[in-house]
Amino acid sequence: MDELILAIEECDLSENAVCAPENVTDLFEFRNAVVDVFGFPITRTVFLIFLAAAFAVALIYFGLRKKATRPSKYQLSIESLMTFVRDEIAIGIIGPVGIRYYPYLMALFIFILIGNAFEVTPFINFPITSRMAIPLFLSLLTWVIFIVVGFKRNGISYLTAIIWPPGVPIALKPLVGVIEFFSTFLVRPFSLAVRLFANLVAGHVMLSLLLTTALVSITAFVAGDISAVKGLFGIAWWALALAIFVFEVIVIMLQAYIFTLLSAVYIETSVNAEH
Amino acid sequence: MEELKGAFALIGYGLAAIGPGVGIGLIAGNAVQAMARQPEAAGMVRTTMFLGIAFTEALALIGFVLFFLV
Repeated sequence: MDELILAIEECDLSENAVCAPENVTDLFEFRNAVVDVFGFPITRTVFLIFLAAAFAVALIYFGLRKKATRPSKYQLSIESLMTFVRDEIAIGIIGPVGIRYYPYLMALFIFILIGNAFEVTPFINFPITSRMAIPLFLSLLTWVIFIVVGFKRNGISYLTAIIWPPGVPIALKPLVGVIEFFSTFLVRPFSLAVRLFANLVAGHVMLSLLLTTALVSITAFVAGDISAVKGLFGIAWWALALAIFVFEVIVIMLQAYIFTLLSAVYIETSVNAEH
Repeated sequence: MEELKGAFALIGYGLAAIGPGVGIGLIAGNAVQAMARQPEAAGMVRTTMFLGIAFTEALALIGFVLFFLV
């Protein structure tokens, strides 16, 4: 809520159409520590990371605790989520050996899903994946896994199979080698992280600015500070924010799915590097 | 020059979004066509469509990051 209060205090509707803080990064940085644990200040973001992890573990633990023959609705939904990740992503993309990477992909999927879902959760309203550290860490994890798996399964021929796809003419080999090396080992983890990060940043900026503007103009209209036309503008902003809210729910699920899917695709290129 | 930096970054991001915009349109349009012609392949087409969109989108995202970095 810090950022909202910050923006409201500085907002002057006679000059700006949309209330925005002076610096957009104010929407993403929480400098005040919530608690201090042995000299390590726990900010709101760090607290939310632990909350997301605990929630992910609790969701699966309580979903699969009983293993009833006639499952409850809750157990059924957790089971279908896990079956989806196993059959569609792990085995569907990587193949039969994909079952080995299923726990990693499942952990990735559910953590990103919950971290993203904080964006539209009331009273939290902050997606932890909109801080670059978290998507970058997760994508570097995938990066390490696919490189280690590639060298372990294929030996040194993994490198040549990646940088020279079959059928490259001999004259083009140096050029293709450099391009493929950069795109596989440098651009891949970067674009994987930035995709998730940028989508969530854009969503958070849109939602917080529109909702703040709507709140400020509607309260000002009720207090009689601004004209009716500007008050109507506030209601229009609010309606737009609600439409974007629904859109963001789709983005949240889609981005968690795409991150997991691309991780599986990258692991697949290492598992089957020979062809 | 210093005060124009933000404007240049905005224009740059706009330019960076053109290509991926066209590309994603092509991918989604062709995926709809493929699904309409062969509904039983819809699941496979959808997965491939998301993959294609994800790779195409990367270019726009690099523009987005540069907009913040400048």
